[in-house]
Amino acid sequence: MSLGVCREPDVSPTVETEQRGRCGEYGLEKRMPTMTVSGHQYNLDPRGVEAALDGVLPEPIHEHFVVINGRRWPPKQVLTLVTGLDRADFTTHQARRALVRLGFPAGRAAGHRGRAGRPAGAPSRPAASGPARPSTTLAEELRPFIGQWVAVRGDEVLVAAPSPKEVVGWLVRHRQRAQSMFRVVDSEQAVSGAAPQ
Amino acid sequence: MRFAFRELPAAGGGVLTPRPVVDIAVEGLDAAPVGCLLDTGALRTRMSAELAPLAGIELSGALTEEFFVGGLKTAGALAHVNLTVTNDASEFSWDAPVWFCDPWPYPFGLAGLEGFLHHFIVTIRAYDGYLDIEPNP
Repeated sequence: MSLGVCREPDVSPTVETEQRGRCGEYGLEKRMPTMTVSGHQYNLDPRGVEAALDGVLPEPIHEHFVVINGRRWPPKQVLTLVTGLDRADFTTHQARRALVRLGFPAGRAAGHRGRAGRPAGAPSRPAASGPARPSTTLAEELRPFIGQWVAVRGDEVLVAAPSPKEVVGWLVRHRQRAQSMFRVVDSEQAVSGAAPQ
Repeated sequence: MRFAFRELPAAGGGVLTPRPVVDIAVEGLDAAPVGCLLDTGALRTRMSAELAPLAGIELSGALTEEFFVGGLKTAGALAHVNLTVTNDASEFSWDAPVWFCDPWPYPFGLAGLEGFLHHFIVTIRAYDGYLDIEPNP
């Protein structure tokens, strides 16, 4: 498995990526990737991709992911959002390849054994794209989500979002069932304010 | 049914003191059981009012009361709902009064006497970091 390694362009009937060198305003060479996806040509740049994901929650990671804005995303979800194409028009590998060419790291969920998926919105972790992660407690899994509502199952964070409405909406859309939903806080006072000490 | 005490991350690293939390599913919100702090000193069972519309619970016209929790004044609206606790092996449901409160800045709901503790035999093993609940026959 490789992480963020650009390979040579593959021959593909639906997604082709071409790195075209162009001269910029000051004569600096910029690499502007032009992609042909399912017969349509797109000029994609990393910032445009990042902007397209603003306010969107990542879907469950079943196996492959790309890291964008510090979160893991299913490649097909990203390319669908960016291009407006139906995700049936291309494969996961084609989407992954296209996004890697834009410079986004990609990987495969280390814990993938047919489970429901990795946390939606989980920040990237180097270990997640390499060998199996060391076991961590739920508290450590929750640390990146302080201040947010989360849905957890066992020691796994399924989704994190600013409101319970978004968390519940995500669970329903993706037919997931959580073990517990609550808001993550990081001080004794914030927890015990609701109970006598 | 056994519930391990819930650990949360501490701001300075490490974890906060693990707390006794039970996960209670409100009817209509089965996919997301609400983490509720077990509170033997609380008369009522309380949750955030944000959760009521997500479960399709109508609060307009409900009996309301104002009270203080943790030094904060809040208002609760009463709804009689079906609650469920579950684990891999078993499931138990009961009807209970729940007060949906606004504001509710706390991370968990509160599982109090009315609505929760009256329905279970609860064994708290804080030293071992878990609690067991058994439906009260």
